[in-house]
Amino acid sequence: MPGPAKPIGVLAPEIEKERAQIRAQFAAGATARETLRQLCELADGTIHETFAGMMKVHETPEDGLSLLALGGYGRQMLFPYSDLDILFLFENHKSEEEFRPLISEFSRTMWDLGFRVSSAGRTMDECKRIEEDNAEFHLALLDRRFLAGDQQLFDRLDKRILPPSEKQARPFLFSQLHRLTKERLARYGNTIFHLEPNVKEAPGGLRDYQAAFWLRQILGDRPDLRGSSSADEQLAADAVEFQSSIRCLLHYSNGRNDNTLTYEMQEEAAQRSLAVRDGVQRDAAEWMRLYFRHARTLNRQLLRYLDQKITMPLSLRERLFSAARSATRTEPPPSGAHFAIRNGQFEILDQPALADRAIVYSLFTEAARTGTPLSRDAERIIAYVVSHPELPGFNQTMSWDTLKEILAADYPGMALRPMQRLGILMEVLPEFRSIDSLVVRDFYHRYTVDEHSLRTIEHLQALADPPDTRGAQVAALWKTQERRDLLVFALLLHDTGKGMPVENHVQGSLTSLASAASRLGLSPEEEAEVHFLIEHHLDMSATVQRRDIFDPSTVSGFSATVSTLERLQRLCLLTYADIHAVNPEALTPWKAEMLWQLFVASANHLSRSLDSDRLHASDEASLLAQVQAAVGGAARSEIERFLEGFPRRYLAAHSAAEIAGHFSLYRKLGGAPLQTELKAERHGFSLTLLTADRPRLFATIAGVLAAWGMNIIKADAFANAAGVVLDTFHFSDLHRTLELNPSEVERFQKTLAEVLGGQAPLEPLLQSRESASRARPPKVAVATQINFDDDASAHSTLLEVVAQDRAGLLYDMGSSLARLDCNIEVALIDTEGQKAIDVFYLTSQGNKLDIRKQEVLSEVLKGTLG
Amino acid sequence: MMKLEAIIQPSRFESVKDALREVGIEGMTVTEVRGHGRQKGHTEVYRGREYTVDLLPKIKLEMVLPDKLVNTVVDTILKTAKTGKIGDGKIFLSRVEEAIRIRNEERGESAL
Repeated sequence: MPGPAKPIGVLAPEIEKERAQIRAQFAAGATARETLRQLCELADGTIHETFAGMMKVHETPEDGLSLLALGGYGRQMLFPYSDLDILFLFENHKSEEEFRPLISEFSRTMWDLGFRVSSAGRTMDECKRIEEDNAEFHLALLDRRFLAGDQQLFDRLDKRILPPSEKQARPFLFSQLHRLTKERLARYGNTIFHLEPNVKEAPGGLRDYQAAFWLRQILGDRPDLRGSSSADEQLAADAVEFQSSIRCLLHYSNGRNDNTLTYEMQEEAAQRSLAVRDGVQRDAAEWMRLYFRHARTLNRQLLRYLDQKITMPLSLRERLFSAARSATRTEPPPSGAHFAIRNGQFEILDQPALADRAIVYSLFTEAARTGTPLSRDAERIIAYVVSHPELPGFNQTMSWDTLKEILAADYPGMALRPMQRLGILMEVLPEFRSIDSLVVRDFYHRYTVDEHSLRTIEHLQALADPPDTRGAQVAALWKTQERRDLLVFALLLHDTGKGMPVENHVQGSLTSLASAASRLGLSPEEEAEVHFLIEHHLDMSATVQRRDIFDPSTVSGFSATVSTLERLQRLCLLTYADIHAVNPEALTPWKAEMLWQLFVASANHLSRSLDSDRLHASDEASLLAQVQAAVGGAARSEIERFLEGFPRRYLAAHSAAEIAGHFSLYRKLGGAPLQTELKAERHGFSLTLLTADRPRLFATIAGVLAAWGMNIIKADAFANAAGVVLDTFHFSDLHRTLELNPSEVERFQKTLAEVLGGQAPLEPLLQSRESASRARPPKVAVATQINFDDDASAHSTLLEVVAQDRAGLLYDMGSSLARLDCNIEVALIDTEGQKAIDVFYLTSQGNKLDIRKQEVLSEVLKGTLG
Repeated sequence: MMKLEAIIQPSRFESVKDALREVGIEGMTVTEVRGHGRQKGHTEVYRGREYTVDLLPKIKLEMVLPDKLVNTVVDTILKTAKTGKIGDGKIFLSRVEEAIRIRNEERGESAL
């Protein structure tokens, strides 16, 4: 029994002295664990003394009142400026009434002694009932600890009253804790990688540890949920110690319960080597990498518990339904499968097979293709395999083709995120290591550089189903993007320079690209595209923010930089994602709108300046030299003749190697008047064709492709000054005719040559195709729009047609144009889902189309297109 | 004390901010806004869709100034925000009765 109550005037300085001593010991290097224990003992002792003293003064017996510590204080983790969570437990309402004045006095005294008391009062009966709107109270009660008062009353609550009611309330507590935790994690963007993290509330903070602790209590200490090894348990203990040390430092430095690890405090912690046990002095950035490592441990532990489902005894009816459901829903994986989807996640079926790294990579490819995440167990198994060098592995190198497949898929982030967590991304792309958990301080970014980079990719994949109006406009660009692989690769590398000792991070990132491209084996064209995106990744954002985007000279200057529509689309997507991933508020609807305005104006500028912006070959000395070197033995004047007069887009859309290839075909025109080159591509084929210009040429090629059941997705039609036409068609092989029957490739090219050469008629071919194919109703109706623009070009009339895409559409349009004696100077054909968007630069007998002709053409096209 | 509200072109914002810093103005409230005065919008057609830009993007600056600084700040904004084209924006000035710093309840110009 304690002695008589000391007056506050005596007790307060004693407590203050003890507090100062604990603080001094912490500053001298005492562990957080020791500091928290001492703070807890100080609080416990003060409560004990104050409460007992008051009881004595008022001559009140303790029967019917217990004081309980709850939450963190209950677990004996009391931080310097944390509240003391105390529950006053009453036997009944009568005792509550009796003790009420005493409790007020107790709370006031504790406040006067410098403790922030956060108290609640409940009778024994009230503790039995679950308060559905106050799950936090019941969760805190899980950490109950007796402090003072009626010990028997506490024992009754602790041993007899609460265990059965808590058991019954498990599903409720689990679901509420699940909800509260998910909401908290979402408030912090579901990532540990914050530049100035809150070490209590943010993912990876101490609240994660606390929530995991509660989940463990609710779920029961199941063996499958314990750490997989004592090493795991040690990691978690070290992480708690590390985060607790930071929180103590923050409380002491701020003089209040402020848990934000600001840049200044990161500097101080690094200088003090706070919680560092290896004796190595680190700068703030390196020390923060330790922080993120520990945060990752706590967050992973929590997520493992969050993934669990609570098991409850089922009624007979529930068991029958459950059996019936599982019988109908579970599809057995094919025999020999190494992994399968269960409950919407990939699970590993054949662990030993993972020694073949190609199987691990194929799992990532499937995740990226299907948008299905890996289960935590699957990640744990892979982590085990890749982190144990004694396990013999093979096929460890990921080829560019495999990586490309992941990057080009609909959900690349689904693979890249676990690849990063497992360290595989840095194996494949060591350049990414420079930004691993890297804190770069500025006012705008909220996340570490690696987290920002991965978020850019996740923002793009979210465009499959745009979450808000900001993404709705650019979504079509993502869905129809041909080279997502290059765009996503550029996003992975675009900020790697931030982790290098260079003045301009863009230059550093380009160095990363050079090494990655050479190691992985990117083609020069692929590397050039990624190079462009990285080099200019800030340009569009800078133009939007620092230039007048409604000024035509801004638009033409920016368009000149991007030079092609395809690059513009990729740069727009990259910029959208890059701004979006800075912080959740960075991409305001205002900025998104500005970005879109610049995109639209530039896209229109690029397609409308095609005809007027022509090449003068003699100005392109460097290109001429490259083509000359690639072809060998060609006279410079001959190359000049070939290039002279092509639209500048031709130069921008093709590499020197491709132009050299076209020139080689051009040189063969003397031997055969038609030169073609057919290449398989990712989603179909491309046909490049060189021949002398002639009436109906474009329509005839489109007709042959339609007759063979090919669906034209994109096309370019250019002519040089000498009247040599260079057309490129990208088409999908709807019936896989060319893909499955290699012999048909030759027959296709022969048909094309015969029809274009006039030796075979086109109409019978088209008729047989028409009878073989049945028109399917379109999924999305597209209204036909026909627009003429006489101002876009000095010598042609621009015709833009938007119409429902269908087989043979281009042939029908080309035939209509030919019938009305319209010559196609330049054509740009594109599709967006079921919408065809075609731009033609037309002349009639060398002049622009007059108004009358435009009206007639418009009527004819309306009749053709419906 | 005067309250100054300036509507300027987004492209001039960085220059205006830098120039204001040079004359000693550190604090201001910045809002991304849309609107139009004499400068009307326009219509762009992209892939068959019409995008009408009838409310143009602008930046709104707000600051409360001690009387002695008002002319300097107005001159600075005029000098740096002007391009000479329609759409350069406007400056509005209005008298402020009182300013109170919430932290320490300081009042008047010293609270600015």
